[in-house]
Amino acid sequence: MAKNLSGDLQIASANRLADGMVVFLDEAGQWTGRLDRAAVARDRRAAEILLERARVESFTVVDPFLVAVVEDEAGHIEPLSLREKIRASGLTFAAIAAEAVRYA
Amino acid sequence: MPDTHFYRYDEYDRRLVAERVEQFRDQVRRRLAGELTEEQFKPLRLTNGLYLQLHAYMLRIAIPYGTLSSRQLRKLAEIARKYDRGYGHFTTRQNLQLHWIKLEQAPDAIAALAEVDMHSIQTSGNCVRNTTADHFAGAAADEIEDPRVWCEIVRQWSTLHPEFSFLPRKFKIAITGSPNDRAAVRVHDIGLRLWRNDEGEVGFEVIVGGGLGRTPMIGKTLREFLPRDELLAYLEATLRVYNRYGRRDNLFKARIKILVHEIGAEKMREEVEAEYRSMKDSALKLAPETVEAIARQFAPPPLRPGRTRVPEVEALKLGDPDFALWLKSNVAPHRVPGHAIVTASLKPAGAPPGDASAAQMEGVADIADMYSFSEIRVSHEQNLVLPHVAIEDLPAVYRALGRLGFAEANVGKITDIIACPGLDYCSLANARSIPVAQRISTRFAALARQHDIGDLKIKISGCINACGHHHVGHIGILGVDKNGVELYQISLGGDVDFGQTSLGTILGPAVPADRVVEAVEALVAVYLDARRAGERFVDTYRRLGIQPFKERVYAAV
Repeated sequence: MAKNLSGDLQIASANRLADGMVVFLDEAGQWTGRLDRAAVARDRRAAEILLERARVESFTVVDPFLVAVVEDEAGHIEPLSLREKIRASGLTFAAIAAEAVRYA
Repeated sequence: MPDTHFYRYDEYDRRLVAERVEQFRDQVRRRLAGELTEEQFKPLRLTNGLYLQLHAYMLRIAIPYGTLSSRQLRKLAEIARKYDRGYGHFTTRQNLQLHWIKLEQAPDAIAALAEVDMHSIQTSGNCVRNTTADHFAGAAADEIEDPRVWCEIVRQWSTLHPEFSFLPRKFKIAITGSPNDRAAVRVHDIGLRLWRNDEGEVGFEVIVGGGLGRTPMIGKTLREFLPRDELLAYLEATLRVYNRYGRRDNLFKARIKILVHEIGAEKMREEVEAEYRSMKDSALKLAPETVEAIARQFAPPPLRPGRTRVPEVEALKLGDPDFALWLKSNVAPHRVPGHAIVTASLKPAGAPPGDASAAQMEGVADIADMYSFSEIRVSHEQNLVLPHVAIEDLPAVYRALGRLGFAEANVGKITDIIACPGLDYCSLANARSIPVAQRISTRFAALARQHDIGDLKIKISGCINACGHHHVGHIGILGVDKNGVELYQISLGGDVDFGQTSLGTILGPAVPADRVVEAVEALVAVYLDARRAGERFVDTYRRLGIQPFKERVYAAV
């Protein structure tokens, strides 16, 4: 857990239980698929509280954890690590389309 | 079911799988209702091959010894379309992974699998996993005996085996029936090689303690020649010794290869042989009628010897250079004259290696129905194989595969890359694999150049667990994370072909992601400058050693 607390800014993330989708805890204590709605903890104490809150709200998600993020001047946040960037925004290549090739 | 020539479930198999589906359905229901915690549920879902990865649940479906009927492949396509995002990833263990499964639909997906005698049991956990085999089994011209008969016997013995359901770590078995090992048997926990001795008897060489991962090892031969009817007794003895002495205190030292390494092959042999002596004449001894009953299910299709030189094929060969290259790289000799084994390349330039859409799976199933007795194989090199194609049908099969994008004449060439899913999907990965493979295959897409370079196997893993088999790539590429940056460690000289199993040697410092293609170009350039007639890349490497490759790469990147 210490590793996750190393960044200055943190958000709480998890995978949704029913479908595995990546979700973030928002200010209202709801899980959302939108990174821009994630509640941001700005210091270590706030991060601990955020994680505790995420655990309390974990009935519909799996294994909440903290994600270190950076914030630009416009207030947009982005995860620091590549892993979390990929979790937040999806595959970094175009997957094969189900019907791209139709056998004739 | 169409007239297939491999094992079909009996009532016992069907009941076992059906019961498992209903058990899992109830477990999922209880988890979604909050009656089970994740801690309680996780081992239950993993037992059914359901992992939770970066973005979603992933279902790993067992394809026993890589053999599929067209009906089964169509069902996989249907499941991919109905319960996933319409595509799947064929793996180095001859399985299929669906990466976007919803937990609430997972029981329906595995119920659908059961409809075609398939399941996802034992595709995770510390148990005996799907036994893999030569993907040319039952068709190869060089085959001594069909290994799938023995794979099926191992499957029946190991499925839900109570003594081996909680091994120190997962356990992988591979079997080949040919002198040209196409199943990488020396890098498995147990590798079995069928061969014929001077007396004309067929038996197994038993190789134990191979593996890749964090600590790659080449397996040691514990038995040069094991009579076939004693296979299960010897396997049981080996697993019993492993279960007793394998380390459970350290996840990274729990595989049987570490045990063999720590106590030595001689001691391991003594222990296994002692255990084996106590049970070799037990109920585990295989009765001839049992083996024959299973072997009958793998009876070869009724192929009639036919023409080996067909005018239409010869004409197309002259008129279409790409077809001529395809014949050279993607078509292998069949045991029956007038027939051939066709590999459908799942590695078109720039595509994710091993991925196939639902439509492509259905297309391959159609082609198999028309031209290959409804049979398909999955290779550990992440391609699909049509094992029984008449030579006169090769032009039609080539065109049909071409319409699917699966007729790239690159099997065994530089763009026939093995790649694990990597950091795009996998929660264990440190770096991406697929985009690296895509960049390499795009750069080297020109078929004439690929064939000029010749046989060259690139294998890419996104982490030290080595699902992409990088240790045995002629060029191995391992993704590592250094302070949040993806870097790629290159190794040279790995090999599993022609019985010359060797592990690669690390070239030097890892290179940045955007320099990997240039590094591969530099390696190829050294080879092209220095090769002698008939030398493959790996042969030139063995003759020259690593230094010239190292100098060129680090001058280039």
